[in-house]
Amino acid sequence: MENKEMQEQLIGEGVGFERIRRITGYLVGTLDRFNNAKRAEEHDRVKHTVSCCSMEEEHTA
Amino acid sequence: MREGHGFMIQQIVKRDGRKAPFEIEKIAAAIFSAAQASGGQDYEMARGLAEQVEKVLEAAAGDQIPTVEQIQDTVEKVLIESGHARTAKKYILYRNERTRVREMNTKLMKVYEDLTFQSSLENDVKRENANIDGDTAMGTMLKYGSEGAKQFYEMFILDPAHAKAHREGDIHIHDLDFLTLTTTCCQIDLLKLFQGGFSTGHGFLREPNDIRSYAALACIAIQSNQNDQHGGQSVPNFDYSMAPGIRKTFRKLFRSNLAKALEVFGADENNEVDAQALTERVEQETGKWACLAGDNGYDEAMAKALGEKLDEQAVQKCLRFARKYADKETRKSAYQAMEALVHNLNTMHSRAGAQIPFSSLNYGTDTSPEGRLVIEQLLLATEAGLGNGETPIFPIHIFKVKEGVNYNEGEPNYDLFKLACRVSAKRMFPNFSFLDAPFNKQYYKPGHPETECAYMGCRTRVIGNHYDPTREIVNGRGNLSFTSINLPRIAIRSHGDIDWFFEDLDRKIDLVIDQLLARFRIQSAKKVRNYPFLMGEGVWIDSEKLGPDDTVGEVLKHGTLTLGFIGLAETLKALIGKHHGESDEAQNLGLEIVGHMRERMDQASEKYGLNFSLIATPAEGLSGRFVKIDREKYGRIEGVTDRDYYTNSFHIPVYYPISAFDKIAREAPYHELTNGGHISYIELDGDPTQNLEAFEAVVRAMKEAGIGYGAINHPIDRDPVCGYTGIIGETCPRCGRHEGEGVPLSKLQKLGLYKHLNSMTLGYHGDPAEEADRLPNTLQVVKE
Repeated sequence: MENKEMQEQLIGEGVGFERIRRITGYLVGTLDRFNNAKRAEEHDRVKHTVSCCSMEEEHTA
Repeated sequence: MREGHGFMIQQIVKRDGRKAPFEIEKIAAAIFSAAQASGGQDYEMARGLAEQVEKVLEAAAGDQIPTVEQIQDTVEKVLIESGHARTAKKYILYRNERTRVREMNTKLMKVYEDLTFQSSLENDVKRENANIDGDTAMGTMLKYGSEGAKQFYEMFILDPAHAKAHREGDIHIHDLDFLTLTTTCCQIDLLKLFQGGFSTGHGFLREPNDIRSYAALACIAIQSNQNDQHGGQSVPNFDYSMAPGIRKTFRKLFRSNLAKALEVFGADENNEVDAQALTERVEQETGKWACLAGDNGYDEAMAKALGEKLDEQAVQKCLRFARKYADKETRKSAYQAMEALVHNLNTMHSRAGAQIPFSSLNYGTDTSPEGRLVIEQLLLATEAGLGNGETPIFPIHIFKVKEGVNYNEGEPNYDLFKLACRVSAKRMFPNFSFLDAPFNKQYYKPGHPETECAYMGCRTRVIGNHYDPTREIVNGRGNLSFTSINLPRIAIRSHGDIDWFFEDLDRKIDLVIDQLLARFRIQSAKKVRNYPFLMGEGVWIDSEKLGPDDTVGEVLKHGTLTLGFIGLAETLKALIGKHHGESDEAQNLGLEIVGHMRERMDQASEKYGLNFSLIATPAEGLSGRFVKIDREKYGRIEGVTDRDYYTNSFHIPVYYPISAFDKIAREAPYHELTNGGHISYIELDGDPTQNLEAFEAVVRAMKEAGIGYGAINHPIDRDPVCGYTGIIGETCPRCGRHEGEGVPLSKLQKLGLYKHLNSMTLGYHGDPAEEADRLPNTLQVVKE
């Protein structure tokens, strides 16, 4: 017991990130439910540039 | 008991490996029924042939117990050698048919086994539709039903030619599991439905009386209708539909706040009764209700009535108070109603609990203060997200962009267009539909929301009406069924011969038209009572004129029968080596191909007097199926079968680098051709909320290019531990953890994120930064 209290408690072990994507028109909250073809399609996607006003990646502090 | 030794056969091995006694009568009976099928009537001859079979078996068996297959082979051999050719033929046919049925049964049982014992991680069938959780009891039950139904239809209902084309991947009959049951989708006119109330089949609901019940009943209507159809449900006029709810709410709140004011400023002890009486009187005199804009003369009439008992100053105070708080509380009610609606549409169940309804809401053009309030509050509730700030998956929002209404500065709903862009940059909804695209504008009649083109779910579009040109409206109509053609396969098989390509395409289109009509005949024979809500409550156009035992064929003619296609990019690659993103030649050929399909649909509409249309197939379950079969058949062909999916409809391939504006320009012309539905996507990098200007530029480019329906994709990631929403790469930008990794409690506390020290349950622990951003928005008043 004492040992346990000395140790730093960790929160969120085993908890994944949620990644919402749109596939064939519907939003899906997790890639886990995509069928294999959709996973492959999502993986291959490239971004489309918007040359007039560049989309700079913003980093949240 | 001795076995074999070339003497007597006593046992056989059944297909499942078990042993059974050998019965010569069974062989005789099988031969006799084959003989009967070709006109024979002599059982004794069949018995004699069976004995011959037994002898041959005994001679050949050695020590082995013969298998069923060996026996059947021997029967064939004996029949042929003894000159019974016709009987032999029948016997072989019968045997093949039995084999096919047996194989399908075995296959089905194998599918059931996998559904039962594999998780959705291992089983692709369970992930066919991403919005059904195949791991739940009801999700699996739904799949049992669906897979069983498909096999039943293939074996007993479908025309063998259609079944074969579907099985082999020439065409794909969408929603095959519902072949004999229902139709795809419907655009629900809530205004009409709510008039006088409606019944869900389990109870009667009165006409709603304030915005919260309007929103709640909207969800129930969507849910009920979803259970009558296999596709999604769309509300084409959400803003117009909810506006009366706001009107009723404001009226009520004005009266109750007037009562309070009477007590405070008029020392009226009987305030509630007086406020009620005054309201009734002024409403009768003016024929108006107190309204959000306060511009209809009601306030002035009320001032006059109040002036009979109160001095001018008290009158003004009472009216100011009533208006101020009615306004404030109406906004608050509207927000709560829309918040509840978004929550409901993400949690309420349909179809035995396996799904939430596939819901779409179209809005953006109602310029009344009430309609505007609905749009604004729905957008704000969506921006805020679900209970823990998660992005709502449903409903699909479609913001209708229209010049003169919301597209340019100074137009009445321009502020809402800006807000729609802001929310979409964060939540990926709304999508944008463009009523000025020529093929949408042709139906548009100002003052008639039912002529504003709407979209359903991921793209379906139903507005033109060849069957009844006087009813070119969206309300109460939808798609009946659709079937897609495997375009890349035709291209592969053409070996670059364009003429042959078009000839074979025509053969496939003929087949699809035939199949859609066969399905339509099944659908037409259904009765109103098969669709207690869709037809029983008069949601579908003209169904209110039918009785419970009337067939629905006539009213279904307002729906669409639709041809779809997949993989234009791969088709062009196979035909001329380049896709339409890479070369103008390919673009021209692409337009010719899609244009031809559309022309064929127009001709079919003409010929049959029905609404045939062409859809850019969404390919939910199809994106991998065709290519898998084609790779097995034709091998790995670069740019054609070398990926695990065929590209969605007419889209430029997702892997191909192209600027947003070029992509829009290339895809726009296909929107005009695909009258049964279309959508174009742009993938934006980074966090578009940080660059709304670019986001809006993309939407405007879509509009200017003549796109009908478009959406912008961007990554939305969320860390449930610290609540960060945005883009997450390897590590969370806020708490720094990797996926699956724990974060020290002290770190979360330092970030001010972990408040519930004694809580052992994980999950959202508050996001002060985001919440601070959100709160002022929720009751924000948009200038009117």
